[in-house]
Amino acid sequence: MEPLDIDLEEGELELPAEPMHLNMGPSHPAMHGTVRIVLELSGETIVKADVQVGYLHRGFEKMCERGTWAQVFPYVDRLNYVSPMLNNVGYALAVEKLCGIAVPDRCQWYRMALGELARISDHLTCNGAMAMELGAFTPFLWFVKAREMVWDILEEETGARLTHSFGRIGGMANPPTADFKAMAGTAVNKILGLVEEGERMLLKNRIFIDRLQNVGAISAADAVSLGWTGPCLRSTGVAYDIRKAHPYLKYDEVDFDVPVGTRGDTMDRFLCRLGEIRQSKRIIEQCIERMPDEGPINCDDPRVVLPEKSDVYTTIEGTIQHFKLIMEGAKVPAGEVYSYTEGGNGELGYYLVSDGSGTPYRVRIRPPCFQITGGLHRLIEGRMLADIVPTFGALNMIGGECDH
Amino acid sequence: MGTFKLDGKPIPFEPGDTVIKAAWRQGIEIPHYCWHPGLSAPANCRMCLVEIAPKPGQRAVMLDILELDAKTGEYKPVQKPKLQPACYTPASEGLEIISDNSDHVRKARHDVQEFLLLNHPVDCPICDQSGECKLQDYWLEHGQYHKRMRDEPIHKPKGVVFGKTIVYDGERCVMCTRCVRFMAEVAKDPVLDMRERGNLNEIIVSPGRELDGHYTFMTEHVCPVGALTTKDFRFKARVWFLRTAPSVCQGCATGCNAHLDYDPRYNRAYRYRPRDNEKVNKFWMCDEGMLTYKEAHEGRVLEAKVGGAVATTARALDAVKKAFAGVPPDAVGIVLSAQHSLEDNWALRELGVALIGAKSLYGAGKPEGYEDTILIHRDKNPNTKGVSELAPGVKPLQALLDDVAAGRVTHVLALGSASALDVEPLRSAKVVTIAAHEGPLAAVASVVLPATAWAEHTGTYVNSRGMRQISEQALQPQGSARPAWRQLADVATVLGFEASWKKVKQIRAQLLGGATIELTPPPSVAAPAE
Repeated sequence: MEPLDIDLEEGELELPAEPMHLNMGPSHPAMHGTVRIVLELSGETIVKADVQVGYLHRGFEKMCERGTWAQVFPYVDRLNYVSPMLNNVGYALAVEKLCGIAVPDRCQWYRMALGELARISDHLTCNGAMAMELGAFTPFLWFVKAREMVWDILEEETGARLTHSFGRIGGMANPPTADFKAMAGTAVNKILGLVEEGERMLLKNRIFIDRLQNVGAISAADAVSLGWTGPCLRSTGVAYDIRKAHPYLKYDEVDFDVPVGTRGDTMDRFLCRLGEIRQSKRIIEQCIERMPDEGPINCDDPRVVLPEKSDVYTTIEGTIQHFKLIMEGAKVPAGEVYSYTEGGNGELGYYLVSDGSGTPYRVRIRPPCFQITGGLHRLIEGRMLADIVPTFGALNMIGGECDH
Repeated sequence: MGTFKLDGKPIPFEPGDTVIKAAWRQGIEIPHYCWHPGLSAPANCRMCLVEIAPKPGQRAVMLDILELDAKTGEYKPVQKPKLQPACYTPASEGLEIISDNSDHVRKARHDVQEFLLLNHPVDCPICDQSGECKLQDYWLEHGQYHKRMRDEPIHKPKGVVFGKTIVYDGERCVMCTRCVRFMAEVAKDPVLDMRERGNLNEIIVSPGRELDGHYTFMTEHVCPVGALTTKDFRFKARVWFLRTAPSVCQGCATGCNAHLDYDPRYNRAYRYRPRDNEKVNKFWMCDEGMLTYKEAHEGRVLEAKVGGAVATTARALDAVKKAFAGVPPDAVGIVLSAQHSLEDNWALRELGVALIGAKSLYGAGKPEGYEDTILIHRDKNPNTKGVSELAPGVKPLQALLDDVAAGRVTHVLALGSASALDVEPLRSAKVVTIAAHEGPLAAVASVVLPATAWAEHTGTYVNSRGMRQISEQALQPQGSARPAWRQLADVATVLGFEASWKKVKQIRAQLLGGATIELTPPPSVAAPAE
C-alpha cells in the first residue's frame, strides 16, 4: 500500500476520463414500479439518461381482449393501482359511450365521489412517498394515515381496499351504503387536517424546499409537445383538466378550480397535487349534497346489466339474461370509440373496437404515465444524481400504466 | 326466379319458396322456432310473423284492437295490420315485407317470446341445450323483458324416456312439432304426436311404440330448445367449451357432412351434428353415423406392435426392414383400404407399385350391411370409390387369400384393419399393417404401425356418388399415432427408397395432377335451427 503523504506530480495518477455508467433500477426502492434508468455520469452530474420502462410487462391489452367486456374491469384495476376506481369508471364510460347508454344521476354522483376519493389517495401516495424518499419519513406517515381513511371508505363501499373491480357497464356493482355520505363527509375533513399538518412539516423545511425548487423544470411548450397531461402538465401553467375542458359525469355541474404552477419544476408539481386534494374535497362535498338517497344505481338496459339475483334463481327470463351476459358477454354494438377521463396522473384514454360480439376486439389504453415518463430524461440530464429521486417521485410513474 | 323486398332489400326467390326460405337462402334469418328448411311449415310458433305492405291502390288488412293507454289507464280502440307468418307466405314478385323495421312485428316477436317462456322451467344451468338454445337467443334479441306472471307455472312430465336414445322434457317444449314432422316426413315413421291443447300440450310416442329406428337422433337435433336430449350427449359436456371441425361421417359410403364437436382441453370428441349439404345429406344424418364419433377413441391402435407385443415405432420400423429384406417384388401384396383417405391410399400405392414394384393390389374394407332409401348405404366404407379410382384393377381380398395359399404372395403391406373376410390364413405370410383401429388385418399382422383416425388428420374421401369431400382435423393425434401416409413415408425410408411425399399438400397435388381439389361446400350462412 502506498503511503498517502507522498508528493504526486500533476498527471501522475490517472483519473478515469470516461463517463461512468450506472444502472438505477429496475430494482431500486426509489424506482417505483420497476423502471430502469441507464445513467452516464460525469462525476455526479448526469450526462445522459436512458429511461427504460417495460420491466413490468403483462401483455395487458391482449389480456383484456380475451374475456368478455365485463371481465376487463379487474384488469383495468391494475393500471394505476393507486386509484383503481378512476380506471374502472373510465372504462365503464368508454363502453357506455360505445353502447350509447347513460347511467342514472345517482350513479353519476356516486362515481364522481368515489373517483375523487381515489384521486386524493393517488396524490397523497405520490407526495408522501416522494417526501419519504428525501428522508422526511414523518409526513409520509401522516399522508398514509389519511390515505387509510380513503381506503377504509372504499373498503366499506366495495369490499376491497385496492383492486375494487367495482365498476360495471351501465352502473356500479352495488348502490352506496347507508353510511357512505356520513363517512365520506367526515373523512374528507380529517384528511385535509392531516394533509395540512404534513404540509407544514415540509413547506417550512429549507432542505426540502432546496431539493425541490428549480429541480426538474420543464417549459409548458415542451410538456405539451411530450403529450403530458394531469398535474405534471398543470405545474407548467397549462390549465388543462379534462374535467373542465371536456366535462363528463356531472363535472360541469360542480364548482372547483384547477390549480396550476408557474415554473413547471418539482416543487410546482408537489404543490399542484396538494391543491388538487383540496379541490377534490370540494367536489366530494358537492357530490354528497346532491346525490339522491333513493333510486336505481344501474341503468335498466337488459343487454348489459345483470338481473337481480332473486330473478335469476326464480324466473327463466332472469336466468337467460344472466346466462347470456356471463357466458357470452354483453353484445356491444360494432364500432370504435375513444373515451377519456381525468385519471390520477392525467388523461386516461380508452380506445375500444367492437366487432359486435361479447368480447372486445381491441382494447387500447392511453395511460397518462407513459407519456410523462417519456420526458423524464429531459428533466434530469445535466442535473445531479441525487435529483433523480425527487424528480422521478413527483412524476408519479405507475408501472402498471406503463405496460406497453 | 323473381325478387321481393324484405325491409327494402331485394331478395331473389325460386318458384315455390316461402318468404322465410328465400330470406334464409340469402343468409337473413327471420326468427322462427317451428320452421325448418327441410320440413313442412305448420306455422304454429308464430315467431316469424311479418307485416306485408299493401299493394299500391289496395287497402291494408287492419285489425281492430284495444290498446292500454298508460297515461289514462283506459283501453282505447286502435288498429294494427294483420301480420302473416313468413314461413307460410309464398314469395311472389313485387311483394313488400316489413320485418325488423316494423314496430308491430317487433312487438309481436316480443309477445310471442314472452308467451313461450310463460311456463318454462328455470333449467338453463342443468339443460344440455343451454348455450345453443333458441329461447335464450331470442329472449336477448327480441324479448328483453322481465317476468310479469307471478303464478305457479304449469308443470308437465320431465325426463320421459322416448326410446333407447331420446329423453323428453315436457316443460321445456315449445310445441314446434319439428320432431313430429321429422319422424313423419323424413324418417317416414310417424311415431310421435302431440296430445291435449293449449298449455297442457305435450309430445307423446304412439301407444305401444317407442321412438326407435335409424333416425332418432335427428329429433333431438331439430329440437330448437332443450326438450329432446340424447342419452348419448346428456350431461356429458357444456357446449360453450366445445370447438367444432367440419368432418365427413365414416359410417358408410354416403359420406354425410358433419360437424365434429370436441373439447380441446381433453382432446376428446363429444358428438356429431349434421352439416347441411344440399347435395349429400341435406340436413340429416342417421343414428349409426352420428355415433361414429366414438371411433375416434374406441378400439384404437395407439402404439406400434411387433409380434403382438407393444413396441416403439423405431423398433417396429426395424422389424419391417428385416421382414422385407430381399423379398422379390412379385411376392409382395399391397392391400388398399376403403376405410382410409385418398391420401393414405395414394401413399401406399406409390410405395407399393412405384417404389417396391409390387404387381398385386387388393382392396379391403368393412362388410356390407343395412341400407335404406333415405341416407344409409349398404357399403359401410367411406372411400370405396376412392380406392377404385386410385387403382382401377384392384383385386378383392379373396384373391389375396388365394395368392397367399398358393405361395405367390409371401409378404403383405396392408392399410387399415377392416376386413369383410376371415383373414386368419394370412398368418402364413408376413403381414405389416398400418391401422388406426384394432381389427382382423391388425390381428394377423406381425408388425402393426399406429395410424391416426379420421378425426386427427385432414383427408379426402370419395362417396358412393363420386364426390370428393375433405374431412378436417379436429383432435390432436393420440398415443404414437401418426397419419398413415407419414408412416408409409418412413416405411419407404427404411426399405431404402426415397419417399416423394412429405406434406398432405404434395399428395393432393399429385392426386389431382395439379388440379385444385373440390372442397365440400361450406356450411350454409344461416345454419338452420338446431
